[in-house]
Amino acid sequence: MTTLTSQQRQDLIDELPRLKRYCLSLTSDPADADDLLQITVERLLEKGMPADAHVAKWAHRVCKNLWIDEIRSRDVRNRYALSEGVIDGAGTTSANTEESVQLDRVSAAMEHLPAEQRAALVQVAVEGRSYAEAAAFLEVPIGTIMSRVARARKALAANLEWNEEREA
Amino acid sequence: MGVAKKVKDMRDDRKNVVDMDGGRVDDDHLLSMYIDNELDAEQTIALVSRLKSEPALRTRLTQLEENDGLVRRVYAQSTVSVPNNVAALIRSDNVTLFRPVRQWRRWTTAAVAASCAAVVAMVLNTSQTAVFNPMNIDAQMAHALESSPSRAAGWEILDEERTFRSVLTFPAADGKWCREFLLSHREANWRGVACRDGGNWVNQVVGSEVFLNQETQYRPAGANDSQNVARFIDETATDVALGPQQEAALIQSGW
Repeated sequence: MTTLTSQQRQDLIDELPRLKRYCLSLTSDPADADDLLQITVERLLEKGMPADAHVAKWAHRVCKNLWIDEIRSRDVRNRYALSEGVIDGAGTTSANTEESVQLDRVSAAMEHLPAEQRAALVQVAVEGRSYAEAAAFLEVPIGTIMSRVARARKALAANLEWNEEREA
Repeated sequence: MGVAKKVKDMRDDRKNVVDMDGGRVDDDHLLSMYIDNELDAEQTIALVSRLKSEPALRTRLTQLEENDGLVRRVYAQSTVSVPNNVAALIRSDNVTLFRPVRQWRRWTTAAVAASCAAVVAMVLNTSQTAVFNPMNIDAQMAHALESSPSRAAGWEILDEERTFRSVLTFPAADGKWCREFLLSHREANWRGVACRDGGNWVNQVVGSEVFLNQETQYRPAGANDSQNVARFIDETATDVALGPQQEAALIQSGW
């Protein structure tokens, strides 16, 4: 394992927008997505990757593993925070225009999806990957991708309908 | 293994997938696969035929497609803001990571937020710092770290064309006191964290400063860049930063 070659660095730079979307699909929080992206890149620069590695695939795997690590440690911290009575009061930005309200609503609905459904939907609906490609990236069977994408769409639609009815 | 090979080897179990009730896939699954162009020809013909005769199914398809469009817009918005320093970090052949950042931002005190600035999370190779090494703390800089109060504006003049400003004081996990500072030398600017160890100040990390304008004093950077400094501090801090009075008392007491 060596440091990244020039080609790998360029491939990684080209991959950044997709990697950022993947980070967001995992975290559902823009600030966390930025953190995850940065930490992923730092890890890749620190550890390098095999000369014959597929850069995008390797980066996605590192990203996913780092997020799993973070989820585990965050779970510990949350338990500590709850025991201490600490409440995270992170606020959301208010949006005034109808369009941004709508996008905020979609963003919130995405946040409510299970992470694995969100990641599958983003890979297919946003990145335009086929089920087979998404399955290879997320390392699950194709049928699982099909099922997760469909359930994600169903849950998303239900959530958006529910919110629209509530606000009507 | 390349993606293409992995795709080829990936088990295609679509035909065996059942819904939560153990039955075959429902209409939403069919529509979802139709949207993704994953139905075979026979299934597609059958579904298109149903779409012609079932308005409710057509409405549902439209709804799902519109939702997809909204999701794409949400994610398109998010990727506009890939932090510039991340790409810069990858491009930089002549920099190495001083210490990989593993901690996540969880400091939310106003003091830290106010101290955030644009720092590229890297340090210069020693080959680049033959003339001036910002990692070195000489007696004059040590004195400044020992005695200067933290402040948001203004500079302390040191010799060798250096200017210095203490920014923040906080306790580290190991009980040591640490200070975040700004340092400039000619056209170059750095932000760093030094900790007091056995009466000596030792640099823990120094990063090249991106948006430090000497003429107009410190100019805060964008939120994305500012998070890097918070992460540096996050690694070492165990508590909130000291307020001015607490810091003054600490300096007065000789740490």
